[in-house]
Amino acid sequence: MNGFSTYAANVATAIRTSLMDRTNFILNSFGMVLNDVFFLVLWYMFFAGFRQVGGWGLHDVALLLGLVMVVVGISGVFFGGYRDMAATILRGEIDALLTQPKSVLARLLARESIATAWGDLAMGVWMLFTFAALSWSDLPLVVLGLVCGTTVYVSSAVVYASLAFRFAGARSFARDLTDFMLLFSSYPGSIYSGATKIAAYTLIPAGFVVLAPVAFLRAPSVSTLAIMIGSAVLYAAIAAFLFHLGLGRYRRGLVPTG
Amino acid sequence: MPSTMPIARAEPALFGAVAAAASALGLGIRRNLANWPIMMGRALFYLVAMLVLSALWDKVAAQRLPGTLAHLLPAGGLTLYIGVTEWIALSVAAIHLRLEDDIRFGMLEPHLLRPKSYLVQKLAEAMGDSLGRLIGIGAAAVLALVLSGRAAPSPIAFVYVAVLGIFGTAVGVLLMTLVGLSAFWVRRVLPPYLIMQKALFLLGGLFAPISLYPGWFYHAAIVTPFAATLFVAGDQALAPSLAAFGRGLAAQLVWIVLLSGLIALVWRAGLRKVLREGV
Repeated sequence: MNGFSTYAANVATAIRTSLMDRTNFILNSFGMVLNDVFFLVLWYMFFAGFRQVGGWGLHDVALLLGLVMVVVGISGVFFGGYRDMAATILRGEIDALLTQPKSVLARLLARESIATAWGDLAMGVWMLFTFAALSWSDLPLVVLGLVCGTTVYVSSAVVYASLAFRFAGARSFARDLTDFMLLFSSYPGSIYSGATKIAAYTLIPAGFVVLAPVAFLRAPSVSTLAIMIGSAVLYAAIAAFLFHLGLGRYRRGLVPTG
Repeated sequence: MPSTMPIARAEPALFGAVAAAASALGLGIRRNLANWPIMMGRALFYLVAMLVLSALWDKVAAQRLPGTLAHLLPAGGLTLYIGVTEWIALSVAAIHLRLEDDIRFGMLEPHLLRPKSYLVQKLAEAMGDSLGRLIGIGAAAVLALVLSGRAAPSPIAFVYVAVLGIFGTAVGVLLMTLVGLSAFWVRRVLPPYLIMQKALFLLGGLFAPISLYPGWFYHAAIVTPFAATLFVAGDQALAPSLAAFGRGLAAQLVWIVLLSGLIALVWRAGLRKVLREGV
């Protein structure tokens, strides 16, 4: 079995496991839809009161939110291990994976499929094709944008989780950073300038998770495509590098326990 | 004489429980201080959040679009308000994650055999953790205010905000405890957590004061524990007043009592379920 088919087999098992408890699955997915509705209401009320922010209106934010929800949905279903990766590291659960031949990072990402992510996926697709008014002809570009956005999102989550190789208190902090990246991703792109723009395209790369795909969908061009693909490749490389750097510490027994 | 025996035994037991909770509180604070790089990260994270949110509100205020609510925004913008609500929101310890782990992985049992209440100990530890965060992030907030050159609120506003911020964080920790206890019924607490987070956004006024919303919405939101967590403290940064401070503090104390009672009930129901059906 090559790396990809092993990953696919692991994910398929994780998805089957997440679907096993039907009641729990329905509760989780419905809970996430409710959460997304809350978020939509929040922005609806904001734009009802203030109409627009720097040229961004409700439809633009709906496109943004739709993309974010689908990115989180795909990440949760197919790379669900990212969410608890810091806790997994701190609990020493990597030990069992170190003796196995396949990539530790891939095994960690594929070890869980999050049931709630299906709710995000459904809600995101619905938003993209209703509120954001995308058509089926936009589908290839949307898929490309989602692949790049998901890569940056999961890579950043891996970078944050890799803090656990050094700090015992990294668990909730890694989650906070990942959640904050999502919140950051859901603000209108027009508010970013100066220091906030630097933050949005570096430390908390909300800019590359959704703003770059939104720019690409609005005005497809070689430059926006290059920025999107380039950022995905760069963040994936940084995540792989930092994770393996931390894994080296783990092998030497230098990791704190939580 | 018979009546004195139970009292004589109950007093040391109560004292012991309080002393153990105080130790757990101290442990939470010390653990937070020991993890100082993470605290620095949180402070940095707070500053980035403040940059983004003040950029949003400064943009809205600068536009002053006719026919919108922009004219209701305070002259200095909402940066001070957001600074307070974010300070509280980021200081609420992630007790729900610890509870989720212990319940999901069946790690409660060994704690149940111990003489001190598991839940009280975890709550006290989380309160200590939150207190440490309030101090660390609070210091970053004051520093940011000084460096930003924005007009500072009156000295009394700092006192009101500090008191309401501490009690607001306590209400927040209790809400997160309820989220954590939902692990008895749903395997993952992520959906309840996110719903709670969005309720804090919308009904708590994390993102915008609830006083900016329509009247009916404000009256519905102000009576929730979410407003007691964030809005009542944030509002003091905009318009400090002793009367509003008193009302806010009273609301927070009422919610602390109510939520503690609810937590005790949910805990008992959850334990009954686990002891009957297993994890």
